[in-house]
Amino acid sequence: MNFTTDVVIGLEVHIELKTNTKLFCGCSRIGSQEPNSRTCEICLGHPGSKPVVNKKAIDFALKLALATKSKIASNLIFSRKSYFYPDLSKNYQISQYELPLAESGQLTLSDGKKINLTRIHLEEDPASLVHPSGIAASNYVLIDYNRSGNPLVELVTKPEMTSPGEARNFMKQLITILEYLEIFDSNECIIKADANVSIKESDYQRVEVKNITGFKEIERALRYEVARQKTAVKENEKIQAETRSWDADSGTSTPLRLKESEEEYGYIIDPDLVQIELTKEWIKSIESEMPELAHEKSKKFSEQGISEEMATIISKDKALAELYEAVSKKVDPELAAKWIRRELPRVLKYAKKKLEDTEIKDHHLIDLLKLIKASKITETVGQKILETLVHTNLDIKEYIKAEKLETVADTNELEIHCKAAIKEAPQAVEDYKAGNEKSLNFIVGLVMRATKGKASPPEVLAVLKKLL
Amino acid sequence: MNKRAEQVKKINKELNLFNEIDDAPTSGSGKLKDIAVSVKDCICVKDMESRAGSAILEGYKPVFDATVIEKIRKEGAAIIGKTAQDAFGFGSFSVNVGKGMHIPKNPVDKTRSCGGSSGGAAGITKAADFPHIALAESTGGSIVGPASFCGVIGFCPTYGRVSRYGLMDYANSLDKIGPMAKTMEEIALMMEIIAGYDDKDSTSLDEPVPDYTKALNKSIKGLRVGILKNSFGQGVDIQVAEKVADGIQKLEDQGALLQDIKLPITEKYGVACYYLIAMAEASTNLAKYSGLRYGKQEKIDGTFNEYFKNTRAIFNDESKRRIIIGTFVRMAGFRDAYYIKATKVRTKIIDEYKKAFKKVDVLVSPTMPFVAPKFSEIKKLTPMQHYMADIMTVGPNLAGLPHISIPVGNNKENLPVGMLLIADHLKEETLMQVGNKL
Repeated sequence: MNFTTDVVIGLEVHIELKTNTKLFCGCSRIGSQEPNSRTCEICLGHPGSKPVVNKKAIDFALKLALATKSKIASNLIFSRKSYFYPDLSKNYQISQYELPLAESGQLTLSDGKKINLTRIHLEEDPASLVHPSGIAASNYVLIDYNRSGNPLVELVTKPEMTSPGEARNFMKQLITILEYLEIFDSNECIIKADANVSIKESDYQRVEVKNITGFKEIERALRYEVARQKTAVKENEKIQAETRSWDADSGTSTPLRLKESEEEYGYIIDPDLVQIELTKEWIKSIESEMPELAHEKSKKFSEQGISEEMATIISKDKALAELYEAVSKKVDPELAAKWIRRELPRVLKYAKKKLEDTEIKDHHLIDLLKLIKASKITETVGQKILETLVHTNLDIKEYIKAEKLETVADTNELEIHCKAAIKEAPQAVEDYKAGNEKSLNFIVGLVMRATKGKASPPEVLAVLKKLL
Repeated sequence: MNKRAEQVKKINKELNLFNEIDDAPTSGSGKLKDIAVSVKDCICVKDMESRAGSAILEGYKPVFDATVIEKIRKEGAAIIGKTAQDAFGFGSFSVNVGKGMHIPKNPVDKTRSCGGSSGGAAGITKAADFPHIALAESTGGSIVGPASFCGVIGFCPTYGRVSRYGLMDYANSLDKIGPMAKTMEEIALMMEIIAGYDDKDSTSLDEPVPDYTKALNKSIKGLRVGILKNSFGQGVDIQVAEKVADGIQKLEDQGALLQDIKLPITEKYGVACYYLIAMAEASTNLAKYSGLRYGKQEKIDGTFNEYFKNTRAIFNDESKRRIIIGTFVRMAGFRDAYYIKATKVRTKIIDEYKKAFKKVDVLVSPTMPFVAPKFSEIKKLTPMQHYMADIMTVGPNLAGLPHISIPVGNNKENLPVGMLLIADHLKEETLMQVGNKL
């Protein structure tokens, strides 16, 4: 390949799929944290046990293949990747080699740059190794097979990213797609990247950095690696074709081994697993289940009249995007966007909840925003109702009636409140009369407090100016 | 100890046919009530030490029953023990047993081999003076070979016909579990019980199981028999060839129609193709035996690589040989020339058989090119000569075809000769039908 950029980065991402059970046995993928409790003869690699593939995992991988416009193979073929390591229950990993599930896909970064994907394939996760006092200090290691056999999708990109920031962007876009497809849950699934990094100064000698978890870490790890390579070249050290391991705690990487090529894993077709035909009907049925993806939603939203930036931000979160879609059909899209982009995330963040964990439904927001639009309630009251909705299901109209939250529209009533406020703040009145317009805001505040937010601030301001 | 266990132990003392004997095997109710079943060591029996004839699995008691064991238990079988074999099935004479284990002796002549790798199974089938059926296993001829040497019937079904779940793998694309017995009725009975689809084995065939017993009495009039002419010439013991020819005559007498068949690709490349594929798969299967979770463990010392190396030194020479060759043929630079090429040749061999079965219903040859050899003779064989003993049997095993070895009389030294019959995929009934006429 002819590289010209300062930095060349390719990623190999491992994504744990959100299935109920493991890839080749009936053990639960998540659950009990008690070491080695979610295991059976198959994921422990006992003699005589045989794998049977989890169809759901194939469905999930096919969704990712379709979402990235990859070319899907005609058959699913598993291979044995042989190497000795204590985390592998069979000392081979069931993976895919010659014919991956899908090839030649594409993923678009937020700035529109397209990154080509080499392959997407399915494989099993090894067990986890636990070093009781850190890798360096432990003189023994504990093995927990709970993770052994969990379903992973491996996605490999071409070396087309040119900065750590781009790699982070890639990971973000990928996670958005995975969550839209509902095949991954960032709260419970592992996503890990191995990155191939090379720099111009070393004539693009490839170094692999393994074990980078999450999209924030990737930028950090890659910045470290690029800096390390640049320093090495400056100091006339030779960059080795090697595999390094990223340690997030120390923020550094250490050499693991000299790089092995894929062919050195002595792949054979796994004779325990028959070829599975990925029929046109199967692909079609997966296609029919495919949701509209973030970039498609974003495009649609901005065409409906909200700003591109607003559309991108809302569509990044599937739950918010779907809520917006429903609400913007009934109320002014800009008002809907403003509330879903700002007010709702603020309320959710404060309550430390996700949208799906609250009582908030699209009809609530539709009612609420309609009332605000018609000046029946003030935005302040609207915010308070939203805060209540986080934990209590309300009929908004009834609630407003019962709590007497309608905007005070009666000018006489407003005047009474305003007069009382003027009396309460003689200093502010004086300041105003002396030419300080801003001091009126203090008096508006007093009125708002007295009316429990039910008065509309511009109207209060108008009444005050009239009275003074 | 119950009476059955006493009988088994008495036989074993003389012949070393078992690696493990149950002290009190008990029968339940069902089709196998009062029938003792011996199980080849490589088939998992829950809580009964199962080592696949190897020393590296010393002390290993499976945590689950193989599917075939579940099935025979349901029919009331009394499991008497685990029969001796070449470690992991690696051999044709049951002499490649794990360190500390005994080599099974042929009940017909104790100075001779039972054959292998299911040697113990064939030996006890011959020696049992009580109702008995053996569960054996074949990868390249390990059921019919020993059956032929011991003078009993060995039956190897179509690949996938019987679940492999719980069978300790030698070469997964070749391994088959099948019965050995003295009579065709017992073979048919056992096949009816163990055959059938199993959702725990992805390679298991979802096909209905016929009434095999019914097939036994079907006439063979008009049945087309293909004689593998080249299996009667050079390298084949003359007396063996004569006895098998007598068997073929019997079939013709009962109305079978004979014709000669040649399988040039299978004859030329079968043995090489078989060993390449079998060893490549075996070398990955044996990787799990590293002393980490089960089986024999060495003193924990050094890095994991050093520990694995120390533990894996327990493998016997033949296991090591197959791991080394099997790893070599799938290594970068050699993989295409050996492993990949062998899988392509295998497809051609299957095609060759498929064409033959358009012309005939069964193919016939001797099972083994000679009678049971003396242990002293086996010692003189090179590994290559060992492998060549499987020349007749690797073909149907590579192609996944059902086959059977039937005793067709003894040679002048009173040693049994077996005749090999091969049928098309899932045509086990044809073998029952013909086998019962000999």
